[in-house]
Amino acid sequence: MTAQVFDAIDQLGVFQVYTGNGTGTGFLIDERHLLTNSHVVAPYREVAVEMRDRSRVLGTVRRVHPRRDLAIVELERPMTERVLELADEDVQRAKQPVHILGFPVGLPLSLTEGVVSHPRQLLDDQVFIQTDAAINPGNSGGPMLDDAQRVVAVTCSKLDAAESVGFGIPVADVRAFIAGFRTQTEAFGLHCPACEELIAQPTRHCPNCGTRLDEHDDCGDFFRSPDLQPVSEFVEAALRAADINPVLARHGELSWSFYRGSALVRIFCCCADHVNFSCRLAQPGRSGLRELFAHLLSHEHAPFFFDLNGSIIRFNHVVHMADVFTPSEHPALIARVGEFIARADAADDILIERFGCQPAPDTMIDRLDSPDHGA
Amino acid sequence: MAITSLYLPPTLRRPIPFAPRDHLRREKAIELYEAGEHRAAIDEAIGYLLLPGQPAPDLTNTPLCLVQGTARVRLHIEDERLVVRAVLGALSMEGSATAALRHFLSRLSGTGQLFQPRLRGEVVSLEFEERLTLLHPHKLIEVVQRLAEAACNADSWLAEDFGMQALDREAVQALDEADVRMALEIWRTHWAAVEAMVDEVRRYRSSALLNRVADFAYSQVIYALPLNGGLPERLNDANTIYSDRDEQPARRLAILSKSVKEARALPDGDLVASLGHVGYAINPISEGNAGLLAKVLSGSQREQAIADYHAAGRSFESALYQAVDFLYLLAWFVWPPSVEEALREALDQASGRPLREAADLMRARAAAIVRAHGQGEDSADAIDGGSAFEGAWQ
Repeated sequence: MTAQVFDAIDQLGVFQVYTGNGTGTGFLIDERHLLTNSHVVAPYREVAVEMRDRSRVLGTVRRVHPRRDLAIVELERPMTERVLELADEDVQRAKQPVHILGFPVGLPLSLTEGVVSHPRQLLDDQVFIQTDAAINPGNSGGPMLDDAQRVVAVTCSKLDAAESVGFGIPVADVRAFIAGFRTQTEAFGLHCPACEELIAQPTRHCPNCGTRLDEHDDCGDFFRSPDLQPVSEFVEAALRAADINPVLARHGELSWSFYRGSALVRIFCCCADHVNFSCRLAQPGRSGLRELFAHLLSHEHAPFFFDLNGSIIRFNHVVHMADVFTPSEHPALIARVGEFIARADAADDILIERFGCQPAPDTMIDRLDSPDHGA
Repeated sequence: MAITSLYLPPTLRRPIPFAPRDHLRREKAIELYEAGEHRAAIDEAIGYLLLPGQPAPDLTNTPLCLVQGTARVRLHIEDERLVVRAVLGALSMEGSATAALRHFLSRLSGTGQLFQPRLRGEVVSLEFEERLTLLHPHKLIEVVQRLAEAACNADSWLAEDFGMQALDREAVQALDEADVRMALEIWRTHWAAVEAMVDEVRRYRSSALLNRVADFAYSQVIYALPLNGGLPERLNDANTIYSDRDEQPARRLAILSKSVKEARALPDGDLVASLGHVGYAINPISEGNAGLLAKVLSGSQREQAIADYHAAGRSFESALYQAVDFLYLLAWFVWPPSVEEALREALDQASGRPLREAADLMRARAAAIVRAHGQGEDSADAIDGGSAFEGAWQ
């Protein structure tokens, strides 16, 4: 069975989900919809879903059940990867093998294996499948499969204080949640954490049972735009000005990444004082290094700069946090970021064509050279 | 050869004045910046950074040159932009220009800093340029301080390692004859002592002892001698390995042994060429504070370790353990004269004494210093807290 799952791993409709809070996993329940955990998407109503070729599509959160920790995301275009089948019934016995697919700690799609430690573990008044399979941050929302490659649970959590104690939401709850979604007519629905009534409009209290929503598991947050930190506001304004959808660029907390042409641009905060824009471009060739290095160090690149990070040439820009808090200067700073992005896109071509460099491993040059690029 | 005493010579470095910064100046700089008085804010922010005795900055009218070790950091305003630049040197056709450029790209360029190395013709400088309206004092202070530090560290060793031509560097002031003789004596005696300690580490097969010997080997030489150029750079390179607690002990010991052998084989002329006094516009090391004194020289863990050494008759380890603490405080921090004197006095009294006597003496001196100048254990965590320190010493 393991070999079969491995053979097909890239064909399976399992994708990485990104928000401004972090990253998780989701899997297709049909060609346009992805199931994941509510805590993976919270409190965002729009998320980014990364494809195998590292391009991203926009996902709109359509239904969430914060208490049961489930969410359904509608993708902006249909996917061709295989939709996983849901098991007919919950796991009945311990020691049944399970296979967990996901993106642990941001790594590419990975498979871990274990057995069911307990088929109906009661925690916090809810039933979970307990497993000893390795579960790590980033696995949340991914499928837990049986030997027949059917989804028996949705990976949701693990105990930090214990070894090999992970949990999944049983398939019966998943089926019920999806069935509810299939009949949903509203653009967005949130299950009341107390009575499970579906709430479609912003409200402070559940119209059915009167429960105060903002006291429960991010419930209130889904009805308002997430508050962005000043750094995020600045960065996302700069991305919008460069025609980049910030939702698609979000890569966890205070981190963004996106492709501009063949250049993968990463934005991150390494400390409390700097916002770094960095783009891994190329690796030096074997000759003409003095000329290459002299070009990289040339004062003409200021205020931007190149550096060598291991064997990778990066193109960088640094914004001081004090500037982020100087709104009157934002137009000039945003223009600078735009110029950086444009130059990053052009820089790798120059390095490769003029200086004989090799593309960095994570650039998209291979993809751009493919015949269907631009189709 | 059995170790019967520790050699703890006085420093030949020129003291850096203890001059706590006037934080009100930084606040005033921020007020000026927010009021749109950008030039005045720049002068105030730079004035805040400088050690006493430096001319007051007036960048509107006069470019400024800050001397930091052998580096000259030049600042001027041009077209409503501040330019900060420190020349590192010129690439030489004969030298290892490619290696030098790779060094700048991989070691001096980098994210997380606002200044970068730039190449103009064959001249490499550390540079920063920004519009006056984007020079919040916090940003400016960070840039000037860190650029000066980086330029100071990239001194004549660049010429030695990469054959670069030194340009726009401040001359090193030679030591007088007596100090040169003293420096040679310190160098020889120190490394001979460290060699004997390395043998002890081998005999005891103790990682804890290796940690202490490694700390002692580097701290004492950096504290005692005014070194410039490639020699301190090479010492530092070796130290980053032999003092690295995460590195394999066998490798650390091997690197330490090699470093000792090289140091002992260093010709006198090479050492003399590396000696010299330099000045600093900006304090290059941290200001010590009362909390730090208490943290390093007191505490139940320290007392227990010393008591255990004594109970086990390990006077050498006890004395070394304590000497390293004093050297750490003296080598890496600047202190008010009374504290500096008290710390130095402890080492002077311990130097050359029988180990048990030296250990007891340093233990007593540490307690007295903490009583007189430090704070209780409760506030030992407040290393970065300037307020407690200011209350105690200002």
